[in-house]
Amino acid sequence: MHATPAFRPFHSRGRRTIIAILLTFAVVSTGSVLLSIRATARSQHRAAVLEVAARQRTLAERYVKEVLLARSGVTADPGTTGTLLTRSADVLLGGGVAPEVEGDDDETDLTAETDRTVRAQLEQQQRLVHDLTVTGNALLAGKPVSGIKLEADEHVTASDPVQRLRILAALTANVALNAARTIALTSDRNVNHLIKLQVTVGVVGLLLSLLLAWALIAATRRQTAHFRSLVTSSTDLVMVFRGGRCRYLSQSVLQTLGRRESELLDEGFQSFIHPDDRALAATMQSTGEPSELVLRVVNRFDEWRHLDAHVTDLRADRQVRGIVVNARDVTERVRLEEELTRQAFHDGLTGLANRALFRDRLDQALARSVRSQESMAVLLVDLDGFKQVNDTLGHDVGDQMLQGVARRFDEVVRPADTLARLGGDEFALLLDGAGEAQAEAVARRLIESVAQPMQVDERELSVSASVGVVVHSGGHGESDELIRHADIAMYAAKDAGGATHRIFRAAMAQEFGEQLDLERELRNGIERGELTLHYQPEVDLATRRVVGVEALVRWNSPRRGVVSPGDFIPLAEATGLILPLGELVLTQACRQAAEWRRDGLVPQGFVTWVNLSGRQLSAGGVCELVRRTLIETGLPASGLGLEVTETALVPDGPAGERARAELQELHDEGVHIAIDDFGTGFSSLGQLRRFPIDVIKVDRSFVQGIEHDARDAAITANLVTLAHALGLVAIAEGIESGGQLASVRELGCDLAQGFLFARPVPADELSQVLADGDFSALIDAPPALA
Amino acid sequence: MRRINARIGTCCALIGVALLCLSAGALSGCGVAGSAGAHTPVQTAQVAERDFHIKAPSELKAGEVRLSVYNEGPDQHELIVVRAGAKPLPFRRDGLTIDEDAVESSKAGGLEPGAAKSRRTLDLDLRPGRYVLFCNMYGHFLGGMHRQLVVR
Repeated sequence: MHATPAFRPFHSRGRRTIIAILLTFAVVSTGSVLLSIRATARSQHRAAVLEVAARQRTLAERYVKEVLLARSGVTADPGTTGTLLTRSADVLLGGGVAPEVEGDDDETDLTAETDRTVRAQLEQQQRLVHDLTVTGNALLAGKPVSGIKLEADEHVTASDPVQRLRILAALTANVALNAARTIALTSDRNVNHLIKLQVTVGVVGLLLSLLLAWALIAATRRQTAHFRSLVTSSTDLVMVFRGGRCRYLSQSVLQTLGRRESELLDEGFQSFIHPDDRALAATMQSTGEPSELVLRVVNRFDEWRHLDAHVTDLRADRQVRGIVVNARDVTERVRLEEELTRQAFHDGLTGLANRALFRDRLDQALARSVRSQESMAVLLVDLDGFKQVNDTLGHDVGDQMLQGVARRFDEVVRPADTLARLGGDEFALLLDGAGEAQAEAVARRLIESVAQPMQVDERELSVSASVGVVVHSGGHGESDELIRHADIAMYAAKDAGGATHRIFRAAMAQEFGEQLDLERELRNGIERGELTLHYQPEVDLATRRVVGVEALVRWNSPRRGVVSPGDFIPLAEATGLILPLGELVLTQACRQAAEWRRDGLVPQGFVTWVNLSGRQLSAGGVCELVRRTLIETGLPASGLGLEVTETALVPDGPAGERARAELQELHDEGVHIAIDDFGTGFSSLGQLRRFPIDVIKVDRSFVQGIEHDARDAAITANLVTLAHALGLVAIAEGIESGGQLASVRELGCDLAQGFLFARPVPADELSQVLADGDFSALIDAPPALA
Repeated sequence: MRRINARIGTCCALIGVALLCLSAGALSGCGVAGSAGAHTPVQTAQVAERDFHIKAPSELKAGEVRLSVYNEGPDQHELIVVRAGAKPLPFRRDGLTIDEDAVESSKAGGLEPGAAKSRRTLDLDLRPGRYVLFCNMYGHFLGGMHRQLVVR
């Protein structure tokens, strides 16, 4: 397995080239120096040789003179001169110490001559010196010289012995001189060679220097380019600071900030840093601390960019000598975090704080209050009549209205106050450090702020606000308790007719706290299945048989026991709990009806009636809910009837239209529709005709007075007549006596329902009623017996 | 930065070229100038000089002649060609060398002292007559370095 090579930018062919050039350069330079030393030494030696060689000419001429003087009887020592000549000639050729000559005190140490040409001349000199001295000696001895055998191949024809000696001396002097010339020439030639060599070496050295410089520049450029590309292609922002000033910026910095290098270098960068970050940045630029920080820097478009910086102090590094900052632009991440935080703690519709943030601020304020003992106030605001707006004009209008209200509230509170939307049309305001008077003043401002109608979707809408105020006087406190107390005060304000505020007082807790507790218990009861259905039969007065039942919800609270529908249904309507409750009733009723049908307990055409609240209708989605429930439970549409109150049908506008359309759809599919409590509302005939109605249920208030009150009897008679005129079935509710039964029969009611026949009973008990089935005896009995 | 580097590179290249030319010139400048004449004589004679003797043909035809002179050494030698008159060649006052000024008018040509083991040429236009070839270095004439030449 190959190990992954480490990243070594300097380990390259360039380095080997540089080393090779340096080695060559060193060898050439060393060779040049050695040659120079050698040449200098040789020159010194040559000079000595030259001196000795040139001296031979003088010695030869002196020898001749001394021989002639000695021959004339003058004192002279040609023998010594001859010896010097011979000795010098030998030393010049074979090396050694050249003899001292009068006037020349130095003995010169010579090495053997190596040049072949010079050696030949010096050998010739040796022979001529021999011939000269032999001839000189013969002359001094008075011997004939013509017979002397000459070794240097001379052809001296002169017969005069002195002339012969002079010729031999001339030849000796000449060859010595020429040897000296040859030595000088050789030396010159060597010097010339050396000069050529030195020039060559110099040129080569210069070329190598240039090559080396080029290689170094190329390598440096390569490495610089390498690092530059690393730095410039990196998304990281790189900056180098020296002496507190910006000395280098990577390309990515310029791109990120959209600024020119000249703007940012030196002290320019500092001027673009957020004022709050400048002190920290200045410390970092001069000391390298802290090593991690986030800087805000403004770009060309005046946007603050968040740079997450990692700082390295490289002032001691000779290659850098500065503080290096590697940074990443984390603006998008910071914005995302801010947005996520904002979403987590703010209401998406109004942009106000949400319940979580409000609770957090409240907890913090309470904690401060413990330390400072300062008072604070919590205001809970609920819009009066908003539900109606939402139900009748739709959620879009309701949402716009909430946004408008939020804006108006926001205008009347201080920036330091925490305004929140807790949900629905419920707002809360935390006034830190406020007392009762200040809280009341703010409550009034809030109420006044929404008093003026607001323009929503080309409509002029009005709402009012009920404000509950609770003031915490300082010290320990519980946020839950404060909110609950504000809630109670708000209910008190609502109870006072709305559009007002109430300060929480201890006495309120008992009065309105009960209602709040009931709401909470009902919410829990729905979730825990504490609510069940009872069924009350409807009897066909013609056939005397049960043809349907009305499903009625019952709440058996573990704490309160059986709770009257009259107590919790209005509460469910007011709080919106009617929606989950209505769905629960519909599902249970359909499931039970389907079960009866499967068990064969109910006759053909049997209808199970379920009450539909106005809130359910206006909220929309009833059609879809009923369809889904029928499919899930397996009950045919014709087995289900929906009872709708008159008031639920009356609302005008989009919500009313939608409700009518949904009922029409369901009616078309076979679901029966009844108007409940008919006669108590204000529906006109025209409106009635617009709705797909099968049945009119005459309100129990008329039925109960039918025996004794002529007006009730007349109204009931008219209602029944009206129903029949419209082709509808009339049902009399609340039949409790035989007299009432007889009266409604007489007035022509088709069906009847009431305690006289059966109380609302659980499903399992109803089975017995259904089994009995026939109410002939009851219906046909005289009124007194019934 | 890139521009500066490019300039440095260009300068280096120019300096390199200049130095190469310079060095080439310096090296070639050391060579020997001169050339042989365009006209080559028909007759060539070999002449050898050595200590202390001249070897040369004793006769040559009149006209242009090229002497190819080789110095066998070991000493340096020159070669002077003089048309001989009725009298012997005159000596200088030293009595050891020929008075070249005195024979200048009859001088046919000459070569300066040449190193041992070197060969040189001497082109002459010789009229019929007697000539003397000699080396006039100190003592060489009397040491035996002279030779008669007859041109017919």
